[in-house]
Amino acid sequence: MNPGGRLGYLGGPMPGRPDPGRRRVIAMAVMVSVALLTIVCQLWYLQVLEGGRFQEASDKNRIRVRPIAAPRGILFDRNGLPLVDNRPAFTLSLIPRELDRDPVQRDVTLGRLASLMQIPFADLQDAVAKVSPDSILPVRVRRGLSMDDVAKVEEWKLELPGVIVEVEPQRAYPNSRFAAHLLGYVREASDEQLKGGRYRRGDMVGQTGLERLLDEFLRGKDGGERIEVDAMGRQIRLVQSTEPHPGAQVITTVDRRVQEVAEKAMEGKAGAIVVMDPRNGDVLAMVSTPSFEIDRFTGTIDRNAWLRVMQDPNHPLLNRTIQSMYPPGSVFKMVVAAAGLQEGSLTPSDRVFCNGEFHLGNWTFRDWKKEGHGSVDLMKGIRDSCDVYFYNAGLKVGAPAIAKWALAFGFGAPTGIEFGSEKPGLIPQPKMSKKGKPMSWHAGETVNMSIGQGQVLVTPMQVARMMAAIANGGVLWKPRLVQRIERPEKGVVWGDAGSVTGHVDLSPMVLAFLRQSLWAVVNDGGTGVAARIPGLDIAGKTGTAQTVANSKSEKGQDHAWFAAFAPVKDPEVVVVVLVQGGGHGGSTAAPIARQIFNTIFFEKVAFAAFGG
Amino acid sequence: MVGIDRRLLQNVDWPLLGATLALVALSATTLATLNVGRAGGGVALRQIFWFGLGLVALLVVASIDYRRLVRVAPLFYLTGLGVLVAVFLLGRTVSGARRWLLIGPISVQPSELFKLCFVLMVVWFLSTRWAQPVGKTVLLAAAPLALVPAVLIVKQPDLGTALLLFPVLIALLVAAGIRLRILGGLVLMGLAAAPVAWLALKDYQRDRILVFLDPLRDPLGRAYNVIQAKIAIGSGQLLGKGVAGATQSRLAFLPELLTCYALLLLRGFDIAASTREPVGRLVAVGVTALVSTQVLVNVSMVVGLIPVVGIPLPFMSYGGSSMVVSMMALGLLLSVRMRQFQ
Repeated sequence: MNPGGRLGYLGGPMPGRPDPGRRRVIAMAVMVSVALLTIVCQLWYLQVLEGGRFQEASDKNRIRVRPIAAPRGILFDRNGLPLVDNRPAFTLSLIPRELDRDPVQRDVTLGRLASLMQIPFADLQDAVAKVSPDSILPVRVRRGLSMDDVAKVEEWKLELPGVIVEVEPQRAYPNSRFAAHLLGYVREASDEQLKGGRYRRGDMVGQTGLERLLDEFLRGKDGGERIEVDAMGRQIRLVQSTEPHPGAQVITTVDRRVQEVAEKAMEGKAGAIVVMDPRNGDVLAMVSTPSFEIDRFTGTIDRNAWLRVMQDPNHPLLNRTIQSMYPPGSVFKMVVAAAGLQEGSLTPSDRVFCNGEFHLGNWTFRDWKKEGHGSVDLMKGIRDSCDVYFYNAGLKVGAPAIAKWALAFGFGAPTGIEFGSEKPGLIPQPKMSKKGKPMSWHAGETVNMSIGQGQVLVTPMQVARMMAAIANGGVLWKPRLVQRIERPEKGVVWGDAGSVTGHVDLSPMVLAFLRQSLWAVVNDGGTGVAARIPGLDIAGKTGTAQTVANSKSEKGQDHAWFAAFAPVKDPEVVVVVLVQGGGHGGSTAAPIARQIFNTIFFEKVAFAAFGG
Repeated sequence: MVGIDRRLLQNVDWPLLGATLALVALSATTLATLNVGRAGGGVALRQIFWFGLGLVALLVVASIDYRRLVRVAPLFYLTGLGVLVAVFLLGRTVSGARRWLLIGPISVQPSELFKLCFVLMVVWFLSTRWAQPVGKTVLLAAAPLALVPAVLIVKQPDLGTALLLFPVLIALLVAAGIRLRILGGLVLMGLAAAPVAWLALKDYQRDRILVFLDPLRDPLGRAYNVIQAKIAIGSGQLLGKGVAGATQSRLAFLPELLTCYALLLLRGFDIAASTREPVGRLVAVGVTALVSTQVLVNVSMVVGLIPVVGIPLPFMSYGGSSMVVSMMALGLLLSVRMRQFQ
């Protein structure tokens, strides 16, 4: 032993003395043996004592894990009416583990199911091939079964081992095409989305619109049940269950009534409507037509229906309020007028004689009114949408100033609505030389720009924001679609108080003049007289935009615009209507806007009585 | 180089080799059955190839006197640390973990190789201080040897391998004669630090512990593995379902596996106990402790005794680095055995 026993064993044991290091090694060996023995005991417990129980769990038809899908959160309009709801729907599913192990027998079952339900056999095989044959989680084959289908499957149950009918909550819409672009559709997670690892196969995921934007809130947490079933697949006993947690409720800014009226007004037409509250940027309605049958997209859509929509030359999936760019036509004259007045290059008393034609070098630009408007001042120019007046005004103001103010009004940049691929629009800007003169820019381009033609492109949402800015004194609001998101147990989990993205620095005099002119458009024999409602002061601007491709064809190919707000004194609502190929803004778009104003301001009381 | 003289060959530990061979055979069979129904049958073949490579490594290690290896251990250790840093900087990332270095066409997991460097280093450290009492001073001086690489490995992240270093260190200190009172204090300190460790864990690691404590917490999600593993083992009952009848997984030979490991580990301790030469004993203890910890942690995890940690099961788990290193560890044991009567 070492002196005092303080040294370690590293000198080696003294010959003929006991070896303490050896004792310790043996102690370690004993500890490891005890650990191994514990493991053997646990094995004994699992395999012999509990073995029977696990044997059952392992056997095919005994225990089934049945996921209980959590209902998606409900989207409400600003008055508490549901925009989309859930209803129970039947889903046909396969449980891979309960299908026959023998591929031939399995294919017999799948073949039987295919002919019974009119599902392509290859689709069923694909569905099974995508998952492990040991999986006990159901593979959804078809959603939204009819009662007849359910009866058929139940009747053939014994011949269809591994085939079950589940009840799942499914999206239900007020009508087939209701707010299709706004809400967006919900479908099973695609292979692409599964790669991200956030979803499990068969999860329902919002694919477009608000459903996609708010998916993480709307998705609940699925629950599950372990049930014991007999050979017939009937439940014997509930082993254990976890409650599903439904998704959060979303309170949007949309007014369902306005949305419905706007959609109805656009029936059979292609185009877009945006209804906005100029006081806070709330979007009351957002319509894009042609629309698609949102309820048919929900769940599992069959290939052909999908292809039909995808290949439709009218692009029904396109949300025309933000994803499509149009020449603004005469609506853009507001920008030219504002720029001229604010920069001082234009005064309300400037007069131009309009004989229906305007000459620039060898070029002739025509007014929409062949015989001309006679002597025109700025207010009359806006009221009657005199093109010749604005050709002159545009040259006076100059392209750089027009572009500057167009950008100030929020054109040429996304509105920031955070809603699917928004298009920025386009405001052409002349490159400036060192002397401050435009380079490689033809005066004709300025002339075209003055009436919102040429390269100028805008989205209906941008036009709505511009009108809101004129109405509210120059504030550019970020369009708001969602007020708040609530969870039943937690209260408000997300809120948006609205945000200002910019100011248009126009003097109050300029704004007052613009509002006065816009009022005259509707109420003083201007181009927007079709929107007039006695008892309501509506201010608006018509636009008839020629499209480049169609400039030589008939007038019916022009886009009809009408952008308006009301009441003039204290504006509450902005309405922008665009009808593709609608012809004159005054005759096509203005009456639609009138209908919407009428609903908002004169059916309010009746509605409140009904809704209250 | 030590010549292979007859006395050395006579002292080869055949039971130890036999147990290993049986394990490798089980591993290959299991991997082969895993392949049923999947594309490519190369996994089992590759495992056998790794075994072959490991055998060469074993022969090389066994033929060198382990005392020579211990003498140059600091060199191994520092090189190992350098490589770990290299992994940190230029490693290959697979499913979120940066543990591999690409060398030509093969990727190597340096943290595996490092385990042996670590054992040799601690042995070197202790044996150069043989005249000192094995007390707090030695403990404090030895701790950084494990802590520095552990931090590097945790960052990969590979918590399992990093934690492995500490039991090995403790086993070596015990075998070197550390006073048990100091050891007890160390254990208490470890327990006190547990809440801090909990905070430092990653979300998925916490999930594993929570799920271990209550598997029904999330039966379809995070606890799925734990429950399925229990069903897999339980449903096998005593005789097992065999390879073809396996349903949940294909780990079909658990009792056989345990027997082989018990044989292997006890043999390792036997070598350590019967060697009177202190360096050889320490080498044997270190290697045996390393393999024991891996086996115990792994099997306990499978039968649901401890939470899930990802460390390879020596000789069984698929992977070249692990196989070669396990074979080298075995080589060290054989080397000690062969030279214990010199």
